[in-house]
Amino acid sequence: MAIKSVQAKQVKQLNFWEKLYLPEIARGLTLTFKQVFTPKFTREYPEERFIPAGSYRGRPVLVEEENGERCVACGLCSRVCPAIAIEVQAGETTREKERYPSKFEINMLRCIYCGYCEEVCPEEAIVMSKDYELVFTNVEDAIFGKDRLLMPVSQLQDRLEFLRQYRG
Amino acid sequence: MNIGSTATLERVTDLRQRKILSKVIDKDTTISLEGRDPLENTMILNMGPQHPATHGVLRVLLRLDGETVEKCIPELGYLHRGYEKLGENMTYHEFLPHTDRLDYLSPMSNNVAYAMAVEKVLGLEIPPRAAWIRTMICELARISSHLLAMGAMSMDCGAITMLLWTFRERERLYDIFEKICGARFTTSYTRIGGVANDFTPDIIPMIRKFIDQFPAQLRDFEGLVNRNRIFVERVSGIGYMSAEEAIQLGMTGPCLRGSGVAHDLRRDEPYLLYDQLDFDVITYADGDCFARYMVRGDEMKESVKIVRQLLDKIPDGPVLANEAKQVLPGKVEIYTKMEELIQDFMLVNFGQQTEPGEIYSCIESPKGELGFYITSDGSGQAWRMKIRSPSFCNLQALQPMCEGAMISDVVAIIGSIDPVMGEADK
Ligand code: SF4
Ligand code: SF4
Repeated sequence: MAIKSVQAKQVKQLNFWEKLYLPEIARGLTLTFKQVFTPKFTREYPEERFIPAGSYRGRPVLVEEENGERCVACGLCSRVCPAIAIEVQAGETTREKERYPSKFEINMLRCIYCGYCEEVCPEEAIVMSKDYELVFTNVEDAIFGKDRLLMPVSQLQDRLEFLRQYRG
Repeated sequence: MNIGSTATLERVTDLRQRKILSKVIDKDTTISLEGRDPLENTMILNMGPQHPATHGVLRVLLRLDGETVEKCIPELGYLHRGYEKLGENMTYHEFLPHTDRLDYLSPMSNNVAYAMAVEKVLGLEIPPRAAWIRTMICELARISSHLLAMGAMSMDCGAITMLLWTFRERERLYDIFEKICGARFTTSYTRIGGVANDFTPDIIPMIRKFIDQFPAQLRDFEGLVNRNRIFVERVSGIGYMSAEEAIQLGMTGPCLRGSGVAHDLRRDEPYLLYDQLDFDVITYADGDCFARYMVRGDEMKESVKIVRQLLDKIPDGPVLANEAKQVLPGKVEIYTKMEELIQDFMLVNFGQQTEPGEIYSCIESPKGELGFYITSDGSGQAWRMKIRSPSFCNLQALQPMCEGAMISDVVAIIGSIDPVMGEADK
């Protein structure tokens, strides 16, 4: 292929008009003034909400079905988590899958939203939600237990759809 | 000796500071006013690490004679997080999100560089579509990084409008990144053996739209300052770096090309799809701040060219290599097949099994040559990982560039080197 190096011309030499400076000022002002007529780029955030697409990696949540969470407490997510944010403790149930997490905590101060937990989970039990508004006022509040991690599967359709279609 | 005690730590810090200081001071630096003209003395100025124009936490110690910089000692390491060591303590897979945080202005190309290095260790081939996606995101990352460099350097010289405008364009790029991988900044998008997920159908039109409007925007940016006498005279002729010295210092990327050396890994050691693409290697011979600034502007145009060519030939197929022993299996297979499920567990727990050996793999990141040197002992994690970060090497040029310059030039010089401290300090 024709890849060549270009030696650019000397650009520093300003011509007469550029040296005069005032025409350049006028040009700059024209450019800035033009911006007045371009559409507004910013968003008035709390009023105008940002709605992420299915590929968005928000806060990781546990998928909840009618009879409880999908998680079988295999501990794979807590092993892979690069930020060591997840703590899982397994318990036994009489449900079909026999195991469930008796304790499942994600420390949201540690989580880096990498999505690895979701990627390795063999049960599609932990996925990244669209929730990006996380506020807490102290360290204890930042450790999300099962009560705050469980999210009904109906709210996660976008993400599950995305995972099925575009990932493996 | 009790290493951990505060007193010892204080002593070490003190010693270190004194050592640095003694580099800048010579015997006549101490100020004595008796019988002498105060203007004969030199002054030590401590710039950074919190100075906004040092692009992060770079600390520069300057010895000034009036307004002239007599000596300049850059001190690096304020953002040292030990990434090389971290890389030796986790599996190859787990380290990937950490690469986002090296050069945080172009995380996509860091991801690519790291994944390519590990693939070299494993001897893994990636599918054509994955290579295509990687080339594409590398070029988009280059545009976004150069946009910031351009805006930040202009702002350092007083043109604040530029920064706002370039940030707006970057925002559009980040919207694309967010659609691609789900995060704007910390992308963690590549995987060993490919990329995490395929493009959704709306991404190609988004990139097309961006590429169509971008050249006009770039013309506006350039119209604003490139021929403006204040800016041109402010940045031209300062921070001179000759081609020979630049090579000796190990500079790469736009800084090296700004000194007139046509060295670009995309052309000289083609990787991914670059050997099938038609683009120019931009060089400017002047070797001053303005030349380095101009190189970045023109490189963005080349990137636009590359993205246009890429958009014309989109290959189909998988985005992750189908290599059971080394690449995480697909989700559907994990859910349904026992073999893949076991594979998933093995890979996550023990990592890929590698051949013992040493490799070096590098790419042309927006800042220059970004390389990973991995020594593998056959286990799932690197025995030694060295990161050759372009910003670190480029920053070595700060001293020769600044010495003899005016104090007000220092800011412009740092801006033109465009260091990212996350990468320089690792
Ligand atoms: S969320 Fe998934 S990976 Fe984590 S413990 Fe539960 S089943 Fe295992
Ligand atoms: S998103 Fe990443 S950091 Fe957060 S819990 Fe999951 S694996 Fe850990």
